[in-house]
Amino acid sequence: MTLLEIERLSAFYGRAQSLHEVSLSVGKGEVVAVIGTNGAGKSTLMDSIMGMVTNTGAMRLEGQDIIGRSPAEIVRHGVGYAPERAHLFPFMTVEDNLLVGGYTAREDIDRNIAHVHELFPVLKERARQETATLSGGERQMVSIGRALMTSPRLLLVDEPTIGLSPKVVAEIAATLRRLNEESGLTILIAEQNINFAMELAGTVHVLETGHMRISGTPQELMADEELNRAYFGT
Amino acid sequence: MTQILIQGLLLSGLYALIAIGFTMIFSVGRVLNLAYGAYLMLGGYTYFWVAQTMHMPKPIGIAAAIGIGALAGVAMHRLIVRPLHSDPVAVEISTLILAVIIQAGIVLVFNDAPKVLHPIVDGVWRVGGATVTFNILTATVASWVILFALYHFVRKTHVGRAISAVSMDIKGAALSGVNPDRINMITWAISGALGAIAGVFFASYTQLSPSMWVSPLIIAVAVVIVGGIGSIIGTLIVAHIIGFMEIISTTLIAAELRGVFTMLLIIVVLVLLPRGLFGRGEL
Repeated sequence: MTLLEIERLSAFYGRAQSLHEVSLSVGKGEVVAVIGTNGAGKSTLMDSIMGMVTNTGAMRLEGQDIIGRSPAEIVRHGVGYAPERAHLFPFMTVEDNLLVGGYTAREDIDRNIAHVHELFPVLKERARQETATLSGGERQMVSIGRALMTSPRLLLVDEPTIGLSPKVVAEIAATLRRLNEESGLTILIAEQNINFAMELAGTVHVLETGHMRISGTPQELMADEELNRAYFGT
Repeated sequence: MTQILIQGLLLSGLYALIAIGFTMIFSVGRVLNLAYGAYLMLGGYTYFWVAQTMHMPKPIGIAAAIGIGALAGVAMHRLIVRPLHSDPVAVEISTLILAVIIQAGIVLVFNDAPKVLHPIVDGVWRVGGATVTFNILTATVASWVILFALYHFVRKTHVGRAISAVSMDIKGAALSGVNPDRINMITWAISGALGAIAGVFFASYTQLSPSMWVSPLIIAVAVVIVGGIGSIIGTLIVAHIIGFMEIISTTLIAAELRGVFTMLLIIVVLVLLPRGLFGRGEL
């Protein structure tokens, strides 16, 4: 069953158009990745789903039209977002950052916090620390944790591996896989790190300068010669 | 010496209350509300009209002042700040003009003669050669209680945390399900209410006059600039620096110097420490 359906979506920042009639769908329980270089439009796509950009086209979440809705409404519809560069609240503690994430799903706060602490035990140790003092990996964990505090049905994760050490990247990958396998959470990832995306996702879309170029399973994409030359340098 | 200590503490508590509503708007909305002093004036005159002209009980006067202040805050947000998309210069020019218009309105309704508020609480307290009126003592205690309550509101409630969140990262707040525009409006309402209650105390400490909005505005601007905006604790600290500086200069040098050192301090800090003493831009 389809959870998120995007049809001929275009995005505009003022007069500049940064997405051109992009279509994709994300099935319930799936992990889907959108890969592409810097400036390909991955973050714009994520921001569009959150209602943070001016769009044309169609976007439906479980059949309900969500285009033109405010970010707060999209969150209430069940979309959690860990954006590029995290956008944490630097002078708030880790705990308070998570609590802000629970702004809409207030009745789930205790359960969600326990869940986040279980996924990322370090965040429990750092609960009283301001996020400005955390390492890059820990900030990424707070960011994903804050998104989980909204009780999402769909988790959007934008560039979760940027600037992180291989060990931390592996940890984040393991956590996302666990979220998908154990809780059945549907995840949409935007990544430049192709290996990370291929390893996690069942379906991968390639975005190039705002156009959707090709889509398929990781195996299908690996078999595409032109794509291999462009992205894997083989 | 005791005199300076006591007067300094009393004045500083009131200054912190005066400044906090202004710093909240600056840290959440990134604009200077130069009509902030007008909230104090609206609050003072509302209290005067309800409690002294209409002879209603004082608590009703205070409640009316708070209500008018909150209403003025919401109106400014909806009618000025939002249409201007929070453009700082446009908001500053508009709010300064608005303050002058409110001043004209006050002259029209109440005429321009200064008015004296009866003390909210009667009586005096003599301590070590110093005389403290219960009125100013009440104002200081009330300021501390309000600031303490505000501190807990910002840290312990969903809306309070959302206010801090918007001040630190609007996108981060929005993707957490917080509506930044609504939070901004709530902050303007709180700011107006805080300004109005500060105005009642400030007027009972000095007097009511149609130009009374200027000196509290300078105090508030000084706290923002010296403190580098920000935290409620930072506001308290800077309010004490300014309060004591004023008491020391007016007691030991000349009473005419009231306010002068505060303005000089603004310039000195702007030149030497452009980011303020604490240098972080969030509540």
